[in-house]
Amino acid sequence: MNAPTPALVARPERLRLVGQRRQILAVMHQRLMLGMLVYAGIIAIIALRLIWLAAFGDHAGRKGGLVDLTPERGDIVDRDGQALARTIDAWTIGLQPSKVIGNKLDLAEKLAVLMPEKDAAAYLAMLRSGRNFYYLRRRAPPRLVSAINALGEPGLALEREPDRLYPQTSLAAHVVGFTDLDGKGNAGIERAFDERLRDPAQRGQPIVLSISSRVQQALEHELGNALATFSAIGAAGVVMDIHTGEVLAMTSLPQLNPNDAGDGTPEARFNRATLGVYELGSTFKPFTVAMAMDSGIIKSMGQIYPCPGVLNAYGHQIHDYHPFNRPCSVAEIMMESSNVGTAQIAGQLGKPRQEAFLRKMGFLDKVNVELKERGRTLTPGSRWGPFETMTVGFGHAIAVTPLHLATGYATLFNGGIYHPATLLKVDRNHPVGAGHRVFTEETSYKMRALLRLVVTKGTGKRADAPGYRIGGKTGTAQKLIGGRYSNSINVTSFAGVFPMDEPRYVIVAMLDEPKATPETFGFSTAGWNVAPVVSRTVSRIAPMLGVRPDMRREPNMAEVLPYVHEKAEH
Amino acid sequence: MSARGFGSVLSAGAVVGAALGFYLVSLRVASERAALEDVETRIALTQRDIRLLQTEIGTRGRLAQLERWNVKFIRLAAPNADQFVDGGFQLATLVAPRKTPAIEAPVVLAAASIPPSDNQSALTGDGAEAQPAPTPSRPVNEMMHVASYTVPQPKAAATAPAKPVVARAEALQGKAPAKTPPATKPIKTATSDPLAPLPGAGAKAKGSAPAASAVGANPKSKSKDSDD
Repeated sequence: MNAPTPALVARPERLRLVGQRRQILAVMHQRLMLGMLVYAGIIAIIALRLIWLAAFGDHAGRKGGLVDLTPERGDIVDRDGQALARTIDAWTIGLQPSKVIGNKLDLAEKLAVLMPEKDAAAYLAMLRSGRNFYYLRRRAPPRLVSAINALGEPGLALEREPDRLYPQTSLAAHVVGFTDLDGKGNAGIERAFDERLRDPAQRGQPIVLSISSRVQQALEHELGNALATFSAIGAAGVVMDIHTGEVLAMTSLPQLNPNDAGDGTPEARFNRATLGVYELGSTFKPFTVAMAMDSGIIKSMGQIYPCPGVLNAYGHQIHDYHPFNRPCSVAEIMMESSNVGTAQIAGQLGKPRQEAFLRKMGFLDKVNVELKERGRTLTPGSRWGPFETMTVGFGHAIAVTPLHLATGYATLFNGGIYHPATLLKVDRNHPVGAGHRVFTEETSYKMRALLRLVVTKGTGKRADAPGYRIGGKTGTAQKLIGGRYSNSINVTSFAGVFPMDEPRYVIVAMLDEPKATPETFGFSTAGWNVAPVVSRTVSRIAPMLGVRPDMRREPNMAEVLPYVHEKAEH
Repeated sequence: MSARGFGSVLSAGAVVGAALGFYLVSLRVASERAALEDVETRIALTQRDIRLLQTEIGTRGRLAQLERWNVKFIRLAAPNADQFVDGGFQLATLVAPRKTPAIEAPVVLAAASIPPSDNQSALTGDGAEAQPAPTPSRPVNEMMHVASYTVPQPKAAATAPAKPVVARAEALQGKAPAKTPPATKPIKTATSDPLAPLPGAGAKAKGSAPAASAVGANPKSKSKDSDD
């Protein structure tokens, strides 16, 4: 009868609507939850990251890199730790013409006032050129840098760049060497140890040289004085420890300033001590006598040789500077530096033994030292016959470096053992180079008195330094000019050892082409010009090296004095 | 029920508090570390400055420069062999003033009634024997006569006889010239030993003995060298 009320019966579409809404709600909840999770996740990640940073992270103000003090290139110091080469931050002034905003004419004038090496026109030309960059000044002094900075021109670039500085300027320049503009070693230790100096793992530790600055300075000063006094074209000197082979000083003059190596003449850049080879003349005679003693040819310093004024040998003539014209003993031959006598000894020795000895002393190879500038010994080579053996015996027809000579004297007087020369300080990290025996100990001992005799009574009197017992040998060799030996142009040298009663140091000094002066009475032989250098140098350096002067000590002169024919006093 | 409701809040608060505490600790550590790094950086910078300054000092005081100054102005030379001493003892012999028997006082005191032997000892200056003063039988002022090469000035003459024993003792110790200024001059003529140092020179040598021996200009050090 009554129709059912629509309120009681849900319409099917309505029902469907409710179901849909529920579904939608669920989906919405799901989505919201997902979004919340995403946000929560992000926040959690941020929070975790913050906690992590707070716990383990670096703080914002950290300045990295500044703590690192390792220089760009390792230092080079002497044996006492005094710096010989250092890398510092230097100011560089550059010019970037494209960035200049001010008046170029004004700027050019101001630059010319501040840096007068170029005039305003040159600066203006640089400013107007299209180039990107010019170096105006490298290694600029701070005052100039602040003055340039005060110009306030953005086109002027002030930068710091590592720069190699040699605080002692020319001291030991040929040992230390120098670098080029890119900081690469070009000579000396800088070149020989370039990789070690640049290696980041090793450059924090300086290279310690065997050079002693004070000894080096004394040698350079005295040699430099002689160079000026006698107008020589060059000079070289070596001081060496005979037991370890450490080179305490080594110089070559004319001097080079490694801070400005580019301006040095080729002459100044040439290392005469290790690269130059010279016929060093009579300084070779002790080697010949020692070889003969070792070979049993000379049995006593009193052995007599005929010493005519001129010796005719194999179609040549050998002369003496102080001719004897009588029989003379070995002691006298050495004392008066007789070529005639030494030639006869060398002749008895013969070429094979002479060559073997020279080879064992390292004279026939390049000198054994760390530097790369090493000269090749000149020998008679294939023409090394009986006559050449004689001339080699007194130091002609063989050209070696002064460092060879120093090494040879060290070998002769340290008991007869050859050690290679070294420029690095001998200590725990760097032991003495492996040596081998060349002369017997007895020969080494007997030679002491012989060379002391040369200084007390012979040609080397002016090399004596009272109390320091120098023993040594002068050498005056004529220079080979245009294939002929010149009569007036010499290379004079002195090789000595001190103190002779207990030899410790060898000193070699050499002058290239010294001229005679009124003070030397017209002589230009070694006894007059280079021997006094040795005397003065030794009196300066011996106290530094711990050699006490003692007037009462001498080597055993009884070995030689009985065989010296005393002249009547005149 | 309400306690249970707050429980979660409290625990959340506790967790937050603890986290904050941890964070504060961590912050503190970080700031300490930052301060330490600052110090380290400053040390490194200072070391770099020291290195720079050392390089500069080394460059300005390079040996070649010192040598140039020495040649031009200072003029020091290497010591000679005989300027080295064997040890402390030899050094002391150079420094210690030699005990000189010289009569440094220009004033010779003569007593009127004193036996000549005493007078003799005073002349040779034998200090030990001269020490006991002559026993005066009469007042000292009357006995003493002053003998000198210089014309005695009234002042010196007045002081000397006043306390003769003291003056003599002082004279033997070399202090007399300080007391009687006009008497310093005749020392040269009155001393028996010409090599004996003047009182002034002796004091100088005492003060700067090594320098004096290095120069070798001091006659006293020379005489010592020749002894050795």
